[in-house]
Amino acid sequence: METAFQLLVNGLALGAAYALVALGFVLVLNATSAVNFAQGDLVMAGGMLAVALAPLIPLPGLVLLPVILLVMAGLGLLLALVAYLPLRNRPPVSVFISTIAVGIILQNGAAVLFGPEPRVAPPLLGDGVLRLGGVAVPEQSVAIILVAGLLIGAQHMIFAHTQLGRRLRATAQDPEMARACGVPVTRMILVTFAIGTACAGAAGLLLANRYFVTPTAGGDLILKAYIAVTVGGWGSVPGAVVGALLIALFEVGVSSVFSYPVALGALYGVLLLILMVRPQGLFGEAVRRRA
Amino acid sequence: MRRLIPLLVGLLAAAGPARADGLSFPVLVPLTGFLSLEGTSQRNGALLALKEAPAGLVAASEVIDTGTSPEAAVTGLERAAGGGPVGAVAASMLGTQMLAMLPLAAELKLPLVTVSGTASITEQGNPWVFRFFPGDAVTKTAHARYVVEELKKTRPAVIYQTTAYGQSGKTHLEAAFRALGVNPVFQEGVDPAAKDLLPVLTKALSANPDVLVLHLHAGPTALLLRQAATSGLKIPVVAGSAMHQPSTAALLDPAELKGVCAETAASPVSGGSPAVAAFTESYRAAFGKEPDAFALGQYDGMRMVLAAVQAGAKSADDVRKALAAGRHDGLAMSYASDGKGNMAHSAVIVCYDGKTRIPALVKRYDNVTGVVK
Repeated sequence: METAFQLLVNGLALGAAYALVALGFVLVLNATSAVNFAQGDLVMAGGMLAVALAPLIPLPGLVLLPVILLVMAGLGLLLALVAYLPLRNRPPVSVFISTIAVGIILQNGAAVLFGPEPRVAPPLLGDGVLRLGGVAVPEQSVAIILVAGLLIGAQHMIFAHTQLGRRLRATAQDPEMARACGVPVTRMILVTFAIGTACAGAAGLLLANRYFVTPTAGGDLILKAYIAVTVGGWGSVPGAVVGALLIALFEVGVSSVFSYPVALGALYGVLLLILMVRPQGLFGEAVRRRA
Repeated sequence: MRRLIPLLVGLLAAAGPARADGLSFPVLVPLTGFLSLEGTSQRNGALLALKEAPAGLVAASEVIDTGTSPEAAVTGLERAAGGGPVGAVAASMLGTQMLAMLPLAAELKLPLVTVSGTASITEQGNPWVFRFFPGDAVTKTAHARYVVEELKKTRPAVIYQTTAYGQSGKTHLEAAFRALGVNPVFQEGVDPAAKDLLPVLTKALSANPDVLVLHLHAGPTALLLRQAATSGLKIPVVAGSAMHQPSTAALLDPAELKGVCAETAASPVSGGSPAVAAFTESYRAAFGKEPDAFALGQYDGMRMVLAAVQAGAKSADDVRKALAAGRHDGLAMSYASDGKGNMAHSAVIVCYDGKTRIPALVKRYDNVTGVVK
């Protein structure tokens, strides 16, 4: 029972961080109808940024979080200006390729700047262990769940209850109609890239303490985000969050009974099953075309 | 990076008309991709050896990043061979790249000096490959012997990586334990991308082992040790060679390393002799980081090549003959070929005391194969 609780906390912490990755991915997807393949590498960039900032600001990671959100939002704007806007009227494959290129540039840039070694970012609050009965729960795991929950909640508040959020949603749902109604669509797309990349940066900070960060860490994360969005419902924001949580819990749960290779195989098996039985995903499909 | 540039510039400058005996020594290693950490160590070790070439011997060198694809390695080798007479090549430690380069090396008649651990590269009957890093047959024997003979443990739980590296280590560990009359109570592979290793740790501990034996890459080793420390693990851990890398220890608090040992070919940061300490100092000064066993193995390999040139080798074939027949007392160990190109036959065990990240050398297993005379 204690072990099951410990595994549940670990799975939730991992899922919460994956959820931020998937959230950023789906926001950009909705606003542009393009898959941002650099999302995993942006998570890595956020982790590396935390590693770089840690000696300059020798305080807990929670203090670094706003700085990382700001810097990564700036990087998101740059990404949109360089890799999306010049290609927005070209076939979608152009944006796929340009974001893949950005990802490779980020990977190699990180390798040059930081070296190939795995790095560790500071913990959000502390790296102690909470003892709840017989269960050892790392403080960082609890902090990841809380911080990711707050960020996802804040994103929901902005999108659901502010004028900016309404404009962002209008842009995501129908850019042409939004433009006709006076919504500055290009600006909204830029804001979406900034929010999506800030989410990636936050995920990078959250993951880079317990799970470390290397320049090549992004490849696996983009795959997880893609699966989460497919499972949750292509284009569905709550679907992306739930999909990410399910993936992490599935991985931890199945590997604790069988093995990690079995868990990985089963994950892709279930994904295939979902695509066959319920191709719209758990929360339905919000956009018409799957990339 | 700032320290590396003058070294590279100096070595490339030497590639001009003043080449020693007309021979160059290209360095073809993975500097990008998933093996870039080890590839960078390889490059640094090779460059340091070339920089410290014996008096009167000026060695030329070109560094080519082979990435992680076999095609890039083959292209790199073709390019290096086209740049004038080559004495030997410091070649990638990535097994798939070595396997792709081997036929071309035989065709071009170029010795490949590597620290690749992939067993099959020296099982192709190719006389142009020389491995200056002990294979799993050596290191896993040392690994298992330390567990059984020194720690007196008989119920190991083995956690290995599902990659080719991990599978090979697991196979050799299994054989080594069997030879010692011990059967692991638990064995399971984990993917390098696995983020949470608590499930496998929990299952391993439920098999009631008396020692945890790891054969994982650097990141997963650190991740598992951190989760083990969080869970209050009470049994000793004897890890694979990835643990000895200073960059792996840097991921953990010294306290999380208490009771952890690891097998490796060498641990330069642990010292052991004035020559090793001097190597470590030179390496730090040149590259601004700590050397590991891969750097030292590649350094020793290139030193043996340069010693052959200094002793009169005039061509790549002369170098090959010297490597195949000679013996070299390197910093990590004494090297001699077993007839297949396996030059390294020793391993060491290092242990952490829980106070620092620098491990102590606790046991040497020299000449495990009996090849070195």
